[in-house]
Amino acid sequence: MEWSVVGGNGRFTVGVSDSDGRLSVSSMQLDGSTVNPPDVSIARADHGGQLKVEVSGTSHLAHVTKVGDDWWIHMDGRIHVVRMHEPGSSEAESTQGGMSAPMPGTILEILVKQGQRVREGQDLVVMEAMKMEHRIQAPRAGEITRLHYSVGDRVDMGATLVEIGD
Amino acid sequence: MTVGPFYSAPRPFSRVMVANRGEIAVRILKAAREAGLGSVAVFSDSDAKSLHVEVADEAVHIPGESLSETYLNSEALISAALSSGADAIHPGYGFLSERSDFAIAVAEAGLVWIGPPAEAISTMGDKISARARMIESGVQVIPGEELTVPEGTDHLGVLATCAARVGYPLLLKASAGGGGKGMREVREPKLLRTEYDAASREASSAFGDGTIYVEHLLTGARHVEVQVLADSHGRCIHLNERDCSLQRRHQKVLEEAPSPAVEPELRKAMGAAAVKASQAVGYEGAGTVEFLLSSNGDFYFLEMNTRLQVEHPVTEMTTGIDLVLKQFEVAAGLPLGISQDDIGISGHAIEARVYAEDAARGFLPCVGKLSTWKVPQGPGIRVDSGVRQGDTITVDFDPMLAKLIVHAPTRRAALRRLDTALSDFIALGVTTNIGFLRDVATHHAFASGSVTTDFLDSSDVSALSMTEVDPTVLVAVACAAQKLGLERTSSAGAPESSDEHTGHSGDPFRTLTRSFP
Repeated sequence: MEWSVVGGNGRFTVGVSDSDGRLSVSSMQLDGSTVNPPDVSIARADHGGQLKVEVSGTSHLAHVTKVGDDWWIHMDGRIHVVRMHEPGSSEAESTQGGMSAPMPGTILEILVKQGQRVREGQDLVVMEAMKMEHRIQAPRAGEITRLHYSVGDRVDMGATLVEIGD
Repeated sequence: MTVGPFYSAPRPFSRVMVANRGEIAVRILKAAREAGLGSVAVFSDSDAKSLHVEVADEAVHIPGESLSETYLNSEALISAALSSGADAIHPGYGFLSERSDFAIAVAEAGLVWIGPPAEAISTMGDKISARARMIESGVQVIPGEELTVPEGTDHLGVLATCAARVGYPLLLKASAGGGGKGMREVREPKLLRTEYDAASREASSAFGDGTIYVEHLLTGARHVEVQVLADSHGRCIHLNERDCSLQRRHQKVLEEAPSPAVEPELRKAMGAAAVKASQAVGYEGAGTVEFLLSSNGDFYFLEMNTRLQVEHPVTEMTTGIDLVLKQFEVAAGLPLGISQDDIGISGHAIEARVYAEDAARGFLPCVGKLSTWKVPQGPGIRVDSGVRQGDTITVDFDPMLAKLIVHAPTRRAALRRLDTALSDFIALGVTTNIGFLRDVATHHAFASGSVTTDFLDSSDVSALSMTEVDPTVLVAVACAAQKLGLERTSSAGAPESSDEHTGHSGDPFRTLTRSFP
């Protein structure tokens, strides 16, 4: 299993040793290179959804919950998401040149035509969700090769809206 | 026959229907119960299991999913009130709260309207007539030229001429807008068209009215608003100010009372101006007069919100006055029962709006299931929430989940309390702005009380982040959670919180063998 911190960089693999329900990290790799494993000792807390986490001897309480492949973690007053991946799988987000809907909503306006050249950061599509407008911008310069939706269409989160070729 | 606390009032009512949803519906429904009034909720298809439905004595289903079929459907709302035996309607904020035609329809149906007179709503609701009325009554308005862009004409031509006269930068506002919707900044002429189109569309989808107007943009100013209360016997008082300068694209992020920029003398002057503005439209009930406060201490009328504000709790905390209860009393025709001299300031209160949105991705609204939702508790901590653990957050509504309000003796103590409470706010399963709120609440600019309304929009938000957690520790925690099988005991359900001996969660009156009354 591989792990990544959402919003962070790289894929981790972890070697864990279990001593009577207390887990510690024996080895860790980041993108294939060995990194120093954290000095942690982790065990179930008395209540469900909670872990006792000792980091270098200091005790912390973590609330955790799993949604899909994501572990949501609340620790030290901050919320983080750590994602599980099948080894060698590709990032779902890094669809080559495709612009996907960041959330479910309705297409309000399409500002480009098929075959049009666009510059990086140019507005492509205007969406509405939760009563607010969001502009989908070109992640890079290129030519619009495909427009998947029309004005008024409802789109799901992650739906590819526009494809950009070179 | 009317029973309850207002049975002998001039406009008696005993059962309040709240024509709203989310946290404000919960807030008002609970206030009704506390006042000894009956409470009725309404809900759309997608709100059938929402919290506000649960806290009311009775809930009426208004079929449909779209806002126009449900929370904006005045006919359906009024018939829901009549069929459920409600004799008063509280509109909350947003939706129909500032629609004078709704206020009139409620009264014509023989129901008590818990809000200001329809005439006050329409005068203040139309920002052009509001400005005119303020100029007439000697309340200072924002420098610049009043401009209308009538619907159905050549928008762009008229608009460009107007914009040139007003001068850039300027602010396009929907005349019927509010809450940051239908409001767009235009810094240079070539952006006028796109911003106009966006503002006009937002305004028509949110408020059913696409009219826009143009105003010169004052930069480096603070947003300071004054809470007013007026009764139907001619008394009007103010309940001091709230400072809502910390905004992002005209949406308030943190609000506090009192304002760190307002000294007693200025407070008196702004309060007097707010009372004058309210009296100019014959105001009744709770309302808010918004001002822009420039760095030299001049203040300008911005608009009047003829309803309860999202941020009303900071005023309640520092004055000790329950604004919703006062709204009930005024609607019943009772006198305020308090005078200006009764209004003091106790300590400092700050509100943080908890949104389902991702600060790291341009504040996009987020959806999902709130698998863990534990709100902070303790002295001086109040959470007005519209959701509970296990709820699914959808795109259908505003992404505000809850408001966290802290109250402490001093501003410094309130800031510490806010940061601590935010760090104890556990919302898992849906991305929220809680981390972002911590970042801004602890930012030195906010801590020093010196932010102006353009602070967040002119700052690199990602640079605010103070998070410095070792990713290897997080990965280790996730990995351990997986290995220890925590997904089966995640806090989504209640069972793990119940006492293993009694099977009853946290009931102090139960022992192993018997329960006490």
